[in-house]
Amino acid sequence: MRILVVEDEAALRESLKHDLTAAGHAVDAAADGEEGLYAGLEYPIDVAIIDLGLPKMSGLELIRRLRSAGKSFGVLVLTARDRWQDKVEGLSAGADDYVAKPFHFPEVQARLAALLRRASGWTTPLLQCGPVVLDTRAQTVTVHGAAVELTSFEYRLLEHLMLHAGEVISKTELTEKLYEQDFERDSNVIEVLIARLRRKLDPDDEIKPIETLRGRGYRITLARTAAGE
Amino acid sequence: MARTPSVSRQLVFAVAVPLVLSFALTVFVLNRIFSESAWQALRERLDQEVISLVSAAELTDSGRFDVRMADSESRLSRPRSGQYAAVRNARGRVLWSSPSIEGVAVDFGAPVTTGRSYFTRARLADGTELAILNRGLEWDYAPGNTANLVFSVAEDLTEQNARLQQFRNQLVAWFAALALLLLAVLGGLLRRVLRPVHRLEQEIAEVDSGQRAQLGGGFPRELAGVARSLNALLRSERARIARYRDTLGNLAHSLKTPLAVMRAALSGGAPQRETLDHEIDRIAQIVDHQLQRAATSGGVTLGQQTVPIAPVVADLRVALLKVHSAKDLSIDAEIAPEAGFSGDVGDITELLGNLIDNACKWCRGVVRVQARLDATRPLAQRLVIHVEDDGPGIAPEDRNRVLGRGVRADERASGHGLGLAMVADTVALYGGELHVGESPTLHGACLEVALPGRALAASVLTSAG
Repeated sequence: MRILVVEDEAALRESLKHDLTAAGHAVDAAADGEEGLYAGLEYPIDVAIIDLGLPKMSGLELIRRLRSAGKSFGVLVLTARDRWQDKVEGLSAGADDYVAKPFHFPEVQARLAALLRRASGWTTPLLQCGPVVLDTRAQTVTVHGAAVELTSFEYRLLEHLMLHAGEVISKTELTEKLYEQDFERDSNVIEVLIARLRRKLDPDDEIKPIETLRGRGYRITLARTAAGE
Repeated sequence: MARTPSVSRQLVFAVAVPLVLSFALTVFVLNRIFSESAWQALRERLDQEVISLVSAAELTDSGRFDVRMADSESRLSRPRSGQYAAVRNARGRVLWSSPSIEGVAVDFGAPVTTGRSYFTRARLADGTELAILNRGLEWDYAPGNTANLVFSVAEDLTEQNARLQQFRNQLVAWFAALALLLLAVLGGLLRRVLRPVHRLEQEIAEVDSGQRAQLGGGFPRELAGVARSLNALLRSERARIARYRDTLGNLAHSLKTPLAVMRAALSGGAPQRETLDHEIDRIAQIVDHQLQRAATSGGVTLGQQTVPIAPVVADLRVALLKVHSAKDLSIDAEIAPEAGFSGDVGDITELLGNLIDNACKWCRGVVRVQARLDATRPLAQRLVIHVEDDGPGIAPEDRNRVLGRGVRADERASGHGLGLAMVADTVALYGGELHVGESPTLHGACLEVALPGRALAASVLTSAG
C-alpha cells in the first residue's frame, strides 16, 4: 500500500515512516499542509495519516481540499486534540477515522487496514438512483423523500452498490467492504443484509432496486442520476 | 465608533430646550394679545370722541362752523394736552381745530371719503408718536342741507407705549425667573434620579482597579439586572481562574510520579519497554483527565447562545458510525427540533459524544438518542436527553462505580472509563441531573441527563428547516 504521512513533528514523522515501511508499505512523508496537498493530489495514495496541527495549511483544510479535488482514499486523523467537538470537526471535514496522541503503533496499523477496505467515494455528497437518495455526509437515506433507517452495514452496502450502479458487485467484494478481518466473514450475512435492504427500501415491492445475479453478485437496477439540491 | 453623548447631558437638553422654547412662545403671544387689546381700546375711545364732536358741531349765527366745547376741562381744551381734534371739509380746509392744537403742528393726513374711517399712526416733527382717527361724515347743517366733512381725532401714544413696554419687561422678567426656577428644580431631580447610574459607574471603576470584589446591591429595577449579571460574570471568571490554577497544580504534581518512575527505569541500565509504555499511558491519562476538567466552561449560562441539539447529534452520529465501523450499528436519533442547550457547545458535544460512544461500545446493534424540552421541569433541567442501547446494561451495584473517576465498569471495554465520569462532572457543573437505569424497550442501559435548556428562536428553526 502507498501511505501518505503528513506530520510536522519530525521525530514522529520519521518514526511512523520507519514503522510503516517495515510493515511492507510504501510511504510518502510531508511536513506541512502544502506539501501534503501536493503529494495527495499527485501520487496514487491508498490511505493517508494527517495531523491536524500543521503549518502553512491546517489539517482540516488539507482534508477538505483533498475531498473537493475528488480524492476518496481513506484519511486517518492524528492529533492531540481529542475532544468530541474536534473529532466531529475532523470527521465532518472528510476524515474517516481518528487516533489520539500518544498512540500505540499497532492501533494505527489496525485502523489503517480497516480504512483500506472501506474507503468510501465520499466526494459526491448526494447519490441518487431512481427515488433512492443517499446523503454521504449525513449518512442518511430517503426513498421518495421519506427517511429510511438503516444500520451502518446496510448503509455501507447500499453506498457501494450505488457508487457502482449498473455494475455487478460480487459477494466477496461486498464482504471486504464490511469486515476488517477475514475470519469474521460469513457468506450468509450479505444475503441477510440485502434482504433487509430490500424490505426497508421497497416494502411494497414496486421499485425493486437491487437485482440478484446468481453466482455473480448484486447490482443496482436503477440508473444513477444527478442528485438534485 | 462615534462617542455616544452622556445620558445626563441628553436629559438636560431634552428638558431645557422645549421648556425655554415654550416659555418664549408664551411671552411672545401674551405680549401680542395685550398690545392688540390696548390698541383696540384706544380706537374705541377715539371713536367716542368723534361722536361727541359731531353732536357738538353747529353753525353759529354768523354762519360759521363751530364745535361747542362744553367741558372746558377736557383734554381738547387744554393746549398741548396730548389729544387733538379738527374738522375739515372734503377738500382739506380746516374748518375748526381744538384749542389743544395751539402751537402743535399736527398733520391729520389726507381727508377720508365720506362714510369711511381710517385709523393710523403718525409721527410729529419732534418724534412723538400719534394715533389718528379720520372719519368722513355727512353733516346736516340745516334741514335738507348737508356737507361732507372729515372729523379727525389724534392722541399722543407716548404714555401708551410706555405702559406696553413696562408690561413686556415684566412679562419677560417673570417668565425668565420661572424658567430658571424650573430648570433648577429639574436639574436637582435629574441628579437624584441618576444617582444610581453614577454609583454603578463608580463601583465598576472600583472593581476594575481592584478596590472592590463585587458590585453592591440596592440598584433600581432597570439597573439591578445589569449589576446582577456583572456579578455573576465576575464570580464565574474568578472560579474559572481558580479552576485553571488548581488543574495546572494537580497536573504538575501528579505527573511527577510517572516521570520519576521513568527516570528510575532509564538510570538503572537497560530500561524495560513495558515500564516506559505503562508510565506513558499513565501520563496520557492524567493529562486527559486534567485537561477535560479545565476545558469545560464551568457551567456558565450567562450570555450563552442556545445550542441546537439536532445538528450536534447528527454530526456525532456520522462520527460514531465511522469510529465504530467494525460493528453493524444503527443510531436512531429522535430530537425535538426546538430543543436547545443553554451552555457551551463544546461541553454538550463532549457530553453527548461520551454518552453515545459508550452506548455504541456496549450495544449489540441499536442505540437510541432522544432529546426534548420538558416544560414541567425547572430551567436548569429543562433539556431532557435519553441515551439507550440494547447491550448488557449496567448492573445496579455498578451504577455508582461507573460514574466514579477513572473506574471502569468492565475492564474489557476499550478506552479509559473516564467518559462517564466526565459526563457526571459536567452535569454537576451545570446544576443538572443524571440517572442511570435500564431501557424499557431495548433492555440495555438507559442514561437520562437533564440540563439547562431553552427552546430555539423561531428564526433559527426556519433557517435550519
